[in-house]
Amino acid sequence: MAILKKMRSLLGRYGSQLQVRHVNIQSVFQGYKKILDDNDRALKIINDMSEKMSGGYLFDIAYMREAYSELATAMRVSLADFNRLTDGQYPQLEPVFNSIDLHIRELLNPQAKRAQRRLISFDDILPEAAKAVGGKNYHLSQVKNAVGLAVPDGFVLTVHAYDDFIRHNHLDQDLAELEEHEYEPGMLAELRARVMAGGFPDSLKREVEEALGRLRQECEGACSLAVRSSGEEEDEVFSFAGQFETVLNVSPDVDAVLDAYRRVVASLFSEDAIAYQLNLNYSPAAMRMAVGVIAMVDAVASGVAYTVNPMGKDRQSMLINSAWGLGTSVVDNLTEADTFRVKKTPPFQPEEIRLGKKDTMAVMAAAGGLEEREVSADRQRAPSLNEEQLAELSRQAMKIENFYHEPQDIEWALDRNGRVVILQSRLLRIQEPAGGETTKTVDAQPAGEHPVLMHDQGIVVYPGVVGGRAFMVDETSTLDDFPWGAILVARNDSPQFVRVMPYAAAIITDSGNATSHMASVSREFRVPTVVNAGNATDLIKSGEEITLKAGEDGGMVVYRGVATGIIGGHHDSFIKLEELFEFRRKKYIMKFIAPLNLVNPFTDDFLPERCRTVHDILRFMHEKSMQKLIDSSRYADRRASLKQLDISLMEDIHVIDIGDGLKPDTEKKVSMEQVNSAPLRAVLEGMTHPGAWRQSVGNVSLSDLMTASMRTGDIQDSVHINLAVISRRYLNLAVRFGYHFTIVDAFVDTKSVNNHVYFRFLGGAAAVSKRVRRVHMLETILRHFGFVTEIKGDLITGVVTNVNEAEALRVLDQVGRLMAYTRQLDAPLISDAVADEYARRFIHGDYTV
Amino acid sequence: MSHRIMIIDDEKIVGDMAKISLEEEGYEVETFLNAGPALKKLEEQPFDVVVTDLKMKNIDGLEVLRTVKKLYPNTKVIMITAFANLDVAIEAIKEDVFDFFPKPVRIKELKESIRKALIPDDKP
Repeated sequence: MAILKKMRSLLGRYGSQLQVRHVNIQSVFQGYKKILDDNDRALKIINDMSEKMSGGYLFDIAYMREAYSELATAMRVSLADFNRLTDGQYPQLEPVFNSIDLHIRELLNPQAKRAQRRLISFDDILPEAAKAVGGKNYHLSQVKNAVGLAVPDGFVLTVHAYDDFIRHNHLDQDLAELEEHEYEPGMLAELRARVMAGGFPDSLKREVEEALGRLRQECEGACSLAVRSSGEEEDEVFSFAGQFETVLNVSPDVDAVLDAYRRVVASLFSEDAIAYQLNLNYSPAAMRMAVGVIAMVDAVASGVAYTVNPMGKDRQSMLINSAWGLGTSVVDNLTEADTFRVKKTPPFQPEEIRLGKKDTMAVMAAAGGLEEREVSADRQRAPSLNEEQLAELSRQAMKIENFYHEPQDIEWALDRNGRVVILQSRLLRIQEPAGGETTKTVDAQPAGEHPVLMHDQGIVVYPGVVGGRAFMVDETSTLDDFPWGAILVARNDSPQFVRVMPYAAAIITDSGNATSHMASVSREFRVPTVVNAGNATDLIKSGEEITLKAGEDGGMVVYRGVATGIIGGHHDSFIKLEELFEFRRKKYIMKFIAPLNLVNPFTDDFLPERCRTVHDILRFMHEKSMQKLIDSSRYADRRASLKQLDISLMEDIHVIDIGDGLKPDTEKKVSMEQVNSAPLRAVLEGMTHPGAWRQSVGNVSLSDLMTASMRTGDIQDSVHINLAVISRRYLNLAVRFGYHFTIVDAFVDTKSVNNHVYFRFLGGAAAVSKRVRRVHMLETILRHFGFVTEIKGDLITGVVTNVNEAEALRVLDQVGRLMAYTRQLDAPLISDAVADEYARRFIHGDYTV
Repeated sequence: MSHRIMIIDDEKIVGDMAKISLEEEGYEVETFLNAGPALKKLEEQPFDVVVTDLKMKNIDGLEVLRTVKKLYPNTKVIMITAFANLDVAIEAIKEDVFDFFPKPVRIKELKESIRKALIPDDKP
């Protein structure tokens, strides 16, 4: 036993230090249990809030404030107890909670907002500013900062600038009255006029001036700006496509920019924009407007890219529309565009090319604004993108889709240097078609007695089978007269049609393309729509009854009369609960409360600073409290009443009972029957499971022993005796079997969330290759039983949390078996295949070696 | 002809969520943020069930209840409130409120209550 002696002397230094460090384990354990109780209270409130705000209950802001206030109180108590337990070891945690707390309180009490940034450059937009810069600007900043693609330079006047503008011009009261007066048109006109005449706080004006100075430097004097809307909700669930004003070709001086700003803000109160919002159940008066000021791209060509072809059945190709000049040509449908269907995978081969007759294009006018210019005859039919440019654009579009994991609707431009610049990216809505007969393939047979009026003309934007009276929108009729349930027929498509979309049965237009603003809005409202149908306005008479069958495969038929035989049931409500603005807005606070981001305690970012939600903070406190308890148990003051387990396997497991872990009348020697501690019983039962324990431990060679003795790692356990610190629900067991040092720590309660099983194994007495095999074998087994594991050299650590009582005890039983089983395994682990086989056997309850 | 339900609550989310959920059941639903315009609407045309918040500025839920009962004795009124207290509940029961829910209200229970409210009085 000279080697053991040597080992002890090597470690004696640590041993003597440890002797001094006695911990009052009872008090640590009490502190730990207190934190479990605190956390339990907080989690119950979180669960209650999640349930009440899941959509199954009518709730209001009063409930949210009350519930959150209770949660915050519970968190304060928990943090104080945690600091006490860990002796203030994590001072960063409280500030992190404070910042989350402040954010939630601001959301719950929007009027109590502190001063916020009114102007942010695109480079500086962080996720927490997402709401302040509006959806559209935020997405563009992500394309630049996170996806790494070229976007124009610029800055954002945030919703806080908007608040200041509104206050400065005393418009708050007018806004408050809008809702009560049901957005009466006269009031809206008055409000727009007051916005257009509005002044700016001097400080805000100065900020804009400075930002413009920087922008002018960037574009070396020759810049022209686009000033465009980015409402809080724009491009979030709904696109607001074409609803708000964008002012193009604005000169980069402060007066021109602020004037454009007024025009954009005024467009919040246009009748169309208000109608759109009311139709989607928004509260238009509450919508705040952020405005993006960005350098314009002097585009050679531009257009729209859909990363999924919304008309195709297959989702393997994307759809790109392109025309000469600025992008308005495509989104406002000023001219025919080129259409490219491109494969979604490299090398982004075009599968279909349709060249439009691009007779006009929009360009920047010298005096500001845009002008329409004729395209020279030789370029009208020429492709506006070459193959290389198309592939590059497709590559960038796919990068954006991969970032968002959702199909995107992207506006892009090709600058004078042939470089692709992304102007905007938003979610592309692709939905199941409206009710009715399946619209798979459209044939041109009459439907019963209903003859075919037209077929296979145009592009299906949104499929469905609907019937109704045709209503022609032209010079002689207005949208105000549009009857409920009619089919809108018009020469050109227009985003203004949004006003009637909730009651329109369908829309058919002679011109138009699938990527226009109106097309986006049609999909949002789930209105069956066909554009570019050629001569629909000639073939269909206003007032006559027709049926439109628009197929998912892109085919369409219009029948004369209402073909009731093929029309489905009622049109589903186009709003779903989860799309409801007020619901999403209220639920938004849960993003800072319920999600769990801090999952794996073994990763480097398991840090206070990484806590983003209240739940993360609870998780962090639980984990670190558990660590504190494990550490404390190892240094428990064993001068306290020490007893000894009297079981056949091992003679020297000592026991410290810190509360109800043993039956009351237990003497110095403890029999199995006297153990009250559920986790210790489970481990002991596992250890004594038939076959798992062998009396004859495998042979250990001298060289294995030498290796073990020379190691300096985390070996101080070896100087301790085998010790179990227990309570009725708690176990910390540190044992040495031969040259294996194992720690098991477990808390097993009736509440799953409180429970954990922690297992740590450091093996000695084997050559390196065997030790490596052993930890990998253990990893396989532990993972099978639900552990999250980490390996450092030949130290393996695993944790199971959040399991119910029965499962925790089952896991502990397996841990007991594993401890017994590994005792025998060092010598036999001669190859990886053998190790795998032993892991497999263990999992199947076969303990033969 | 579907049944007409009126919802009065000064918080938009309550009306919006109630509307979506009740329309699923085939009811025709109108929502109001203020009792004033709601009562004006009621003078013009009847509703089968009125669901009203209790605490609202200007006109409160009890007043809504009294006015509805005066105009249409057969229209059922369901009261919802965040400030559930016994006095008000007793007052409301005296005034023949059909049902009384503290917020947050489980939508399933509200639907069930409305279903019962729509059973004509002579058929128990």
